[in-house]
Amino acid sequence: MVIDRRKAILFSSAAALRFILFFAFPSLPDLLTGRVEISTPVTSFKRLQEGLFLYTHNAPLLLPLFALVPPSLFSPLTALLYILLDLLCANALIKITESGESGSSRLFTSPRKDMKWDSIAVAAAYLFNPFTIATCIGRPTSVFTNCAILYAITQAVSGKPITSMLTLGLASYLSLYPALLLPPLILLCYDRKARDTKTPPAATFSTATFVSVFSASIAWFLYLSKVLTGGSSEYLASTYGVHLLLPDLTPNVGLWWYFFIEMFDSFREFFLGVFWLHLGGYVGALCIRLRTQPLFVITTLLGIFAIFKPYPSISDTSLYFAMLPLYRHIFPLMRYTFFAMATILYATLLGPAFYYLWIYAGSGNANFFYAITLVWSLGLSEIVADSLFAVLRDEWEVERPEMKGKDIRQI
Amino acid sequence: MKHISCLLLSLLLGLLVSADPKYKELLNLQPLNPASLLASFNFKSNASLQSYEQQHFKYIPRSLGQILQHAKTRELHLRFSTGRWDDESWGARPWGGTKEGGTGVELWAWVEGDSDADSFARWVTLNNALSGLFCASLNFIDSTRSTRPRMTFEPASSVFNASSENLYLLHGSLPREVVCTENLTPFLKLLPCKGKAGIASLLDGHKLFDASWQSMAIDVRSVCPENGSECSIEMEQTVDMVLDVDRSKRPRDNPIPRPIPSEHLQCDQSKPYAGDEACYPSDANLGQSWTLAEIFGRPIQGSCLAEDSYGQLRDSVCINVPHEREVNLYGDAVETKNEAGTSRCFAIPASNPFELVLSHIGPQTFNKVSQPPLYASRSFTGHGQERGGVQTLLTNPSTSSSIQFVYFETLPWFMKPYLHTLTARLTTASTTSPDIIEETFYRPALDRRRGTQLELLISVPADSAVILTYDFDKAILRYTEYPPDANRGFDVAPAVIRLLPSSGNSSSNSQAPLYIRTSSLLLPLPTPDFSMPYNVIILTSTVMALAFGMIFNLLVRRFVGADEVEGWNLAALKAKARGRVAVLVDRVSGKGQKLEKTVQ
Amino acid sequence: MALISPTILALRRDPRLLKLPPYLSALCIFIGAVWLCLLPLNEYSRRTYISENALLPGQVHTYFGGSEQNVFNAYKYEVQALVGKDQEAISTKLSDIFESAGLRPARQKYEYHAAGNTYSGENVYAILHAPRGDATEAILLVAAWTNMDGILNQSGVALALALARYFKRWSLWSKDIIILITGDSRAGPQAWVDAYHDEHSSPFVAPLPLKSGALQGVVVVDNALDHRFESLHIVYDGINGQLPNLDLFNTAVSIASGQLGIGVSLQRMWKHNDSYQERLQTMLRGMFSQGLGYSSGPHSSFVPYHVDAITLQAVGDGWQDEMAMGRCVESIFRSLNNLLEHFHQSFFFYLLMQADRFVSIGTYLPSAMLVAVNFTIMAIALWIRSGRPPAPKVASTMPEKQNPEMEIVQENNMTAITPKENLTILERQLFLPVTLVVSLHFLGAIPLYVFINSSHNTLPLYFLLFTFLNFFQPTVLATLIHRHTPLTPQHHLLLQSFSLLVLGIFLATLATLNFSLSLFVGLLSTPLSFTGNPFSSSVDAKDAIPSKTRQHIWTLVLQLLSPPVVVWAVCYIWGADLGEMLAEAAFGWKVNGLWTQVVIWCVWWPAWTVGGILVNPLL
Repeated sequence: MVIDRRKAILFSSAAALRFILFFAFPSLPDLLTGRVEISTPVTSFKRLQEGLFLYTHNAPLLLPLFALVPPSLFSPLTALLYILLDLLCANALIKITESGESGSSRLFTSPRKDMKWDSIAVAAAYLFNPFTIATCIGRPTSVFTNCAILYAITQAVSGKPITSMLTLGLASYLSLYPALLLPPLILLCYDRKARDTKTPPAATFSTATFVSVFSASIAWFLYLSKVLTGGSSEYLASTYGVHLLLPDLTPNVGLWWYFFIEMFDSFREFFLGVFWLHLGGYVGALCIRLRTQPLFVITTLLGIFAIFKPYPSISDTSLYFAMLPLYRHIFPLMRYTFFAMATILYATLLGPAFYYLWIYAGSGNANFFYAITLVWSLGLSEIVADSLFAVLRDEWEVERPEMKGKDIRQI
Repeated sequence: MKHISCLLLSLLLGLLVSADPKYKELLNLQPLNPASLLASFNFKSNASLQSYEQQHFKYIPRSLGQILQHAKTRELHLRFSTGRWDDESWGARPWGGTKEGGTGVELWAWVEGDSDADSFARWVTLNNALSGLFCASLNFIDSTRSTRPRMTFEPASSVFNASSENLYLLHGSLPREVVCTENLTPFLKLLPCKGKAGIASLLDGHKLFDASWQSMAIDVRSVCPENGSECSIEMEQTVDMVLDVDRSKRPRDNPIPRPIPSEHLQCDQSKPYAGDEACYPSDANLGQSWTLAEIFGRPIQGSCLAEDSYGQLRDSVCINVPHEREVNLYGDAVETKNEAGTSRCFAIPASNPFELVLSHIGPQTFNKVSQPPLYASRSFTGHGQERGGVQTLLTNPSTSSSIQFVYFETLPWFMKPYLHTLTARLTTASTTSPDIIEETFYRPALDRRRGTQLELLISVPADSAVILTYDFDKAILRYTEYPPDANRGFDVAPAVIRLLPSSGNSSSNSQAPLYIRTSSLLLPLPTPDFSMPYNVIILTSTVMALAFGMIFNLLVRRFVGADEVEGWNLAALKAKARGRVAVLVDRVSGKGQKLEKTVQ
Repeated sequence: MALISPTILALRRDPRLLKLPPYLSALCIFIGAVWLCLLPLNEYSRRTYISENALLPGQVHTYFGGSEQNVFNAYKYEVQALVGKDQEAISTKLSDIFESAGLRPARQKYEYHAAGNTYSGENVYAILHAPRGDATEAILLVAAWTNMDGILNQSGVALALALARYFKRWSLWSKDIIILITGDSRAGPQAWVDAYHDEHSSPFVAPLPLKSGALQGVVVVDNALDHRFESLHIVYDGINGQLPNLDLFNTAVSIASGQLGIGVSLQRMWKHNDSYQERLQTMLRGMFSQGLGYSSGPHSSFVPYHVDAITLQAVGDGWQDEMAMGRCVESIFRSLNNLLEHFHQSFFFYLLMQADRFVSIGTYLPSAMLVAVNFTIMAIALWIRSGRPPAPKVASTMPEKQNPEMEIVQENNMTAITPKENLTILERQLFLPVTLVVSLHFLGAIPLYVFINSSHNTLPLYFLLFTFLNFFQPTVLATLIHRHTPLTPQHHLLLQSFSLLVLGIFLATLATLNFSLSLFVGLLSTPLSFTGNPFSSSVDAKDAIPSKTRQHIWTLVLQLLSPPVVVWAVCYIWGADLGEMLAEAAFGWKVNGLWTQVVIWCVWWPAWTVGGILVNPLL
């Protein structure tokens, strides 16, 4: 009951804040929509509107959703929609936290698991994260993907593997890269199922079912959009092709754009392959090494995506920062928190400044902004690696309790 | 000016009706205001379609004819233009704008073909051949610069209708192309007299390209007269130029406009301070006199094929000044004045040179320039290299009748318009008015493959102006895709406006199409650092390697207590060294997180 | 990082490192200051040079002269005859002159309201079409009707008109030439350039009836003298301290001094004898006006639009006549006419210490960065201290002893984070400082709003009031906080740490946008790094919170260096009237988009407040 009241307060305050930002500063949404840190070519709200107008860009399924809206009410309703999405995400986070999966999974229970934040705190950390708020006001379509991913996890931890797979299918349909989350999510679903039913089900069989459900859902969505676009497959190239081949080099906080601006034409395809391989390379390794904690694998992967995917934006970062508080209990084991946070703060301020110098003042050049994207990526990867270290050490101390607090080295 | 265009028009129509004579040339001189003079040269050659197909070339030049036949091109329009027609002070355009193109080179043609691809292949052939013939970079008209307009252009030939004979219209333009003498020379070579005789002898590169505005046009089309006589192929070459008379009259050997001696200054003596070292100039609006030799550097060298089939001399020079204005001739030419009292024409005998003098004696009057049917000006809005807007102001000066036209724009692919931001509103109204844009045809761009094509059917009510705006994003290109002068920006081709004859519109003749072109635009794009490829590849790879290393290092190695392994001191030494390095690095990068590593 | 983690673990044991930060940050400040003073030396500054080869300054003959003198005189009489006439008469006359030169004139009305004043007027301009151009590029010649001091710019306007008529005769222009006569020197140019990019605020600013292409360069002529002048004073600072491309400045200098033999001065240094002091003084004046970031001439409004602009101001009483100035402009325009690309070659960040000497960003940026970095260093040091156990202990270097030491730390952390009440404690430990710092930074919006929106006659009063309140404000806030939750020593450390961190980040960012402002604010707030007990490394109450006497001393220091006091001091030193200065700032914000006061109220003032709270004896 108390939880519910606090939850109500939290949600209403978060919603109120967003409403104020939307309607007290009418120019703010468009301003943020234009920021390269928030909207990328594949997620830009303005391009979504254009897509509505032309029915080409973006994954077509989103379009009817918006097309139903009468133009007069368009902006307020979209504002409402995005606020609701944020609250939904927060709700999903609350569910995930309450499942306690982060502290103790089927195969592993952390000695520190009691040190966790309660669900409201986690949700608050998400809802009042400046990145989240900016994303909400900037209205990129990546919010839908984030929401879908969070719900896929929620379903998984609450033991509903099928719906989880369906939701992940939606996420991957919307923006491709979530498909990489399939293996850890399957593990998570399997673990949950195994935990609930005392006799673990056959691994191969359940895996097969999960995969088939996932692919079925994707196929269904593709078929649906094919129907909606009048049987044309144009949109496939114009949506997933953009993810895969990076034809649009508009700057963003990621590492791809400048690299492929400066890349020699003959090597372009090769390095596209390398970059995607690099992105996919983490999945297997993490799944194997952290078999016992699939949820943390997902968290880390989200962090890695926020750094290394083709068109990253701060909305991906906000998703990662939303998942991180679930692992409150390993924070004391992290070593460079302040360093990484300071780096990210610096990048957050210097990024827009350097972008202004390059694009508007014309007094700086592209290298200014590029350098900041490097710093930003370094800061983020620092956090990812550090949290990974903390979790591994946490595991290690289970088998070597006497080593608590001792310096350690890796060999 | 209106009378004149009508006169030229009737002349033109007369020619259409009778395919004979085979060759005709006419120079039309039109003083626009005291300061400038419009000279329109027109050369028209004919050949029967049959002889053309049998490759019997006489007046139709073989070089061009064969290209057209090879590329299966049935109708061709080629334009070279520089400068800008100042319609505020020069009035309506010559030939109703049909014989001019946007800045640079513009080309459109009807090409035979079984499919789009087929026609496009021929189109490319045509461009390559023409670029060789006219020393222009027409071969750069590739798929990103070619469009297939829907409403803007109509075939001028009277024999075919494009749909039935599977002809495809293709249009391309090079706004950046600089037109100069190397384009004029081949142009003159196409003439029967090669510019040695007749009015073409006035076409001198120095004068032509010193003009304030000039346009060279080549139109090839096939004509079938109504009276059922045999069809003929007709080629029309046109040169229009607006000369600044003062500038043209400057002697070639002393072109520098030095300050004139103060005693030659024409001062306004009515001023109180007149005299003492001060002179309020009053010379700007005096009448003006000139001779052909002064303006063009030489008189006309006789005439070229001026006799028609009956041995009759045809008029080859016309000047449009009121009859009361005194015009003197040197050389025996036959003068005929038109009854409207606005112009007179001269028939020049073949051999001897002809000189014409517009004297400064007598009343210094001019025919008043006629009002253009529409004013169009286009400009960019906003600043910065991230996004911008295009704003076109379309003013309908007519107080009585509304006007309807097609607005045709092709944009390069790296300029990404947002069609949902396209609005048209009256300058008087604050909100957008939907009924202005009656029809829209929009083909979105494909990165590196196709440019944007936008055709709008717009109507502007009488005596009002419409502002057409839309937003666009500026793409950033691969560093190999920038030209050498990347920081100049990229040229965006002029918009083509075709005025539709609307009922009850007295000013526009329903027969003749009217065209207007806006000026081109300069689009600055964000530029990367062109000296950086290696650095970027190295730095980015380093960051990725760091992250990869950190994570996989954690994944594959196992933990042991620090005091459980050997070689601690060695490690400590290494540690110190590494630490120092880190300190330096951080100090340099100005972030000063050095001590960070000591954080617990 | 993970690679070298064990070695770092080893390093961080070393207690000497924990003593280092305060000295280090003091060193940073010292080096930063010294660095600045070294810049004027020959070893650190460079001679200017032209990077853009296309410019070819001074390579052309200039013909403006002879009978043009008579025309100029006539126009000057016309301008003088217009003194005291209303705007309509002036605009009509100017339009007539343009028309008689064969150019089509256009007008633009504008009206601004700021600090209770109304700034209105009308711009008159004409476009000279490039004979073979296509309205893609344009260069701009500006003459304001009244110059920055409000004096009639008689010769300047007449010169612009005469040049317009003269340029018309040439056929070599590759770019359109726009001749603009603005109504005044501050609002007029801003209104025009805003409208040229369609970013004007209608209905107060009218749109432009005539337009041309992208502006490639702007030259402003300012000659209010009625006699021959001695030298040209080149003004180049833009809004918010943004500078035009150095090539434009160099072109003007080399043409004026090299080709035409006219002396060139800058930053009001009329006599410059190339001594170290003179150079330093010039540089500091330049930095000061850059730091203030206000409009220093009609050219200033163009610079933020990435349009490079300078003002040529005729000063002194010498033997140079207006024709010489005209020839200078002609030659500059011929150089601009040669440009193939937009200015991009040379420097945009530079400090000039003489007409032909400068330092580029690579050389001077470290000084500001070092000052900014010292805050970050202290922030880190304080953060470390806040994480250390209160129990005082002797730092030993022998390994056996260290491990337990570490353990304490570790376990302390761990136990501190065991279930509820500890959890809440730790939450508050971070929560309170963060919220306090953030909210204080937002609080800065209040003085900002007040000083922007109040009228000029009430401004001085408000400012006096604010100074008075600001004197007690830290005490008040301190007591409030104390009432609410008594600050623990750790709170002190964290509060200062966060405040310094934020300040450092802001200043580092600002240093890339407006170097001078960042440096000044940084130097003025250096005491904030050393309040408290910087040299001790524990979090005991007696160490974290300074002694009473110390507190009083620091309070005094901070009060002397509080933002309002500094503003008063600046006004006093430069003999400026406070009211005018504040009105100027409000106008700058409303019209030019001036950001200086935002930095003062939302970056400097909050940091100062936190400092004041921390050293407050009441805590």
